[in-house]
Amino acid sequence: MSEILLFALLGLGLGALIAGLGLAIVLSYRGSGTVNLAVGAVAMLGAYVFYDLKTAGVLLMPPIPFVPDTISLGGPWATAPAFGVAVLVCAFTGALFDVVVLRRLRGASPLAKLLASLGLMVTLQAFAVLRFGSSGQSAPAVLSEGPSDSVRVFGQSVPDDRFILTGLVILAATILWVVYRYTRFGLATRAASEHETKAMLAGLAPGELSLVNNVLGFAVAGALGIFVAPMTQLDPTTIALSVVPALAAALFAGFTSFGIVTAAGLAMGVLSSLVTYFSSKSWFPTSNGVAIPGVTELLYFLVVVIAMFARGAKLPTRGTLEETSLPPAGRARRVLAPGGALAAVGIAALLVMPFDFRQAMVNSVIAAIVCLSLVVVVGFVGQASVIQLGLAGVAGFVVSRLALHAGIGFPLAPVIAAAVATGAGLLIAVSALRVRGVNLAIVTLAAALALQQFVFANPAIGGVGGAVVPSPQFLGLNLGPNASFPINDASPPSPVFGILCVVVAVCLGMLVAGIRRSGLGQRMLAVRSNERAAAAVGINVRNVKLVAFAISSALAGLAGALYAYNFGSVSVSNFEVPAALGFVAFAYLGGITTVAGAFIGGLLVTQGLASQAINVWFGVPVNYELLVAGLALIATIMFNPLGIAGSVSATLRARSRHLPSGDSSHKRIATEPGSDSRNVEAVQP
Amino acid sequence: MTSALKIQGLSVSYGGVRAVSGVDLLLAEGQLVGLIGPNGAGKTTLIDACCGFTAATGQVLLAGEDISRLDPHQRARRGLARTWQAADLFEDLTVRENLLVSTGPRPWRTTTREILTGRVATSKNVDETLDGVGLGPLADRGAHELSQGQRKLVGVARALVGKPKAVCMDEPAAGLDTRESRELGTRLRGFVDAGLAMLLVDHDMGLVLSVCDHIVVLDFGKVIASGTPSDIRTHPAVIEAYLGRAAATVTDESTMPEGQGAA
Repeated sequence: MSEILLFALLGLGLGALIAGLGLAIVLSYRGSGTVNLAVGAVAMLGAYVFYDLKTAGVLLMPPIPFVPDTISLGGPWATAPAFGVAVLVCAFTGALFDVVVLRRLRGASPLAKLLASLGLMVTLQAFAVLRFGSSGQSAPAVLSEGPSDSVRVFGQSVPDDRFILTGLVILAATILWVVYRYTRFGLATRAASEHETKAMLAGLAPGELSLVNNVLGFAVAGALGIFVAPMTQLDPTTIALSVVPALAAALFAGFTSFGIVTAAGLAMGVLSSLVTYFSSKSWFPTSNGVAIPGVTELLYFLVVVIAMFARGAKLPTRGTLEETSLPPAGRARRVLAPGGALAAVGIAALLVMPFDFRQAMVNSVIAAIVCLSLVVVVGFVGQASVIQLGLAGVAGFVVSRLALHAGIGFPLAPVIAAAVATGAGLLIAVSALRVRGVNLAIVTLAAALALQQFVFANPAIGGVGGAVVPSPQFLGLNLGPNASFPINDASPPSPVFGILCVVVAVCLGMLVAGIRRSGLGQRMLAVRSNERAAAAVGINVRNVKLVAFAISSALAGLAGALYAYNFGSVSVSNFEVPAALGFVAFAYLGGITTVAGAFIGGLLVTQGLASQAINVWFGVPVNYELLVAGLALIATIMFNPLGIAGSVSATLRARSRHLPSGDSSHKRIATEPGSDSRNVEAVQP
Repeated sequence: MTSALKIQGLSVSYGGVRAVSGVDLLLAEGQLVGLIGPNGAGKTTLIDACCGFTAATGQVLLAGEDISRLDPHQRARRGLARTWQAADLFEDLTVRENLLVSTGPRPWRTTTREILTGRVATSKNVDETLDGVGLGPLADRGAHELSQGQRKLVGVARALVGKPKAVCMDEPAAGLDTRESRELGTRLRGFVDAGLAMLLVDHDMGLVLSVCDHIVVLDFGKVIASGTPSDIRTHPAVIEAYLGRAAATVTDESTMPEGQGAA
């Protein structure tokens, strides 16, 4: 019994982090209506800045060309000044994000703001990987520095930092509550979040309120990151992904109550610690002799789902005038000709490219299918989902198991795998049935994390070691990456496998284009534009969403099967959450509402064709690419929501309209935006 | 006359506030019933409750069938259509597509064929309805390109295209000028004369008094009067609650050839 208590108390450390991140989320939401996914990454940033100052006395600098990585500040710093500077850096990041990004997005939909914060998260994580590598390190302690700093509770020694930290978080929550309750600033923020335009008329400045709230939120997140890093460990994902339980806590608090979010956050930390304790017990379910992993993440997901239902599945609506959330989804006039041309170009490229580019191209083609699945669910129906790569992972593991345990191979296995992925996708969609837009993003993020830790990391399924995937054989022919082929057969992957991928991707692309042109596609767009009006004309909104989710999951599943063949084995590292978030960024960058955008997104992904070209020709490491992708996601949402596909097609249209006239002034206008598309083409040979 | 839409004891509460309380209403085939009342009287809430967008107690019968427990889309499919104050068009679709998605569910076979061929099965009804409200020339425009008056007309056309049994029109004339409003009135009357049952909520008294067969007056969620337009013009409770001192002027205007329509 006393052991249970001990673990419960130890969990207060993580609980304080979750509660602190929850406070930051609430602040950001009340100030600017942003469901801020980046607060965890900000906490991580604070911890890294502190780490550098405390251990080496150097200050991290942003990755700008010709700016050194770090500035030396003369030897290791003391704890207090290092802490202060690290928190300031976080606060400054918050100010920058608010002024540069959120201010411009004030009238935009909650979805756009959430995706912008996702961009920030991807950027900060990539930055951390770039500077510190992806492996963890132990962080310097802040609160307790020796074994003497502990408290004896029921005969067990508990480090006192847990108590101090819990006290600090509760203190912060109390101060915030008092400030919001009794000061003019708090009143103004509440007024502005009730009704932004009326608050403006009353002489309040929502911009300033948003700035102050975000700076506060980022500072709180950063401080908690510094405190908690020594208890977890310092790596680019652990603290950053603590945003998932923090979101669950914020959901319970209706994104408004500081008290509830703190209590729920602390409780979630205790829960996680108790799971750790119970997993050491003999009765705890095991897999391959080890306690099954990911139970905590599964619980987080369940808590999110419960919170959604408990809160009536609805964020409190802020009184802002909302714009339409997504750019228009253009419909292709012709499908067969462009599809055939794309397939021909793809196959020709496979035959002539050297093997490293060929591998990159295969990666891109499969990634394009994942982007297609995002186009259907995000672009056509307006439901923000980040689970797609996770569903691909499900299919990948299914292909592996079917081959190893049931002797089922190509082409039946990918079909079964896609069906299983569809089932998994529908299960998640149903648990989020009353949920839309921003909330779905939260549910799918929690689901993706649970999938990664509970399913993929399970040693009996995949784990770190991975599971083997035999080559696809069809009618005695090897279609896999190691197949022999008369042309360009030097080293894998074989063009045969590439051609298989290209054919599948092009067919699926044409299918998605067909869906957009069909009545079903129109109903999807109707649901995207206006759910209540759709219901009023007899459209079953829930069914349309489920159908879209099913189609999207099946596409992701097929992509996952191809990935499995491509890798030759599947492991948890192939389908991790940061990569999944990166995919959303790339899909947006390419153009989230069009089929062409999905293919461009595929070219852009890490280890895809563009990344390979930049790496080989300019020597830019892959990690820079994710960093740029995060920033580019933010820029896309702010300036060019149609993505690259949109600017290219606008340019083409402008040319075809203006060039035949022969008018020189028109020509100038037409070619100016054209420079845009030429840059894109230059990257991809 | 058979009753197309019958509302019995319909009540809506928001917390302690009864937005609609115990309203009875009867719409016969080929009858145009006006629903008027001051701001906040509960007119839109009544439509929301009737079409399933707000939780309510009481009964809603469509052609004799109790639809009170159905979801909005199920009520729509059974033949209860509505329009919205703010038009609420599908901004991403063209005018024709706005109507096309409103023609009811399609079998999977059709959907599969559409996906494979890229051609959407159109319905003759769509073009007829568009012509019926004079939107034919704008059929291929995007909904977001239209003027306010045109948007309201698309909203009306969208409600009518599914051949509903009863339609609730929520301020279809708001934002239209007098001529447009008058034209709309004539068109609505035409649809009703062809057998449709229609509930019309509007602030344009000239429109309501001139086209409706029967008028129901709502105040603080309760029916305070109902009768023919001429009854309502002179009803003392109505004059007090809604029309007030302006009643005389409104009455005059509505009888004038170029009625200004009270604001």
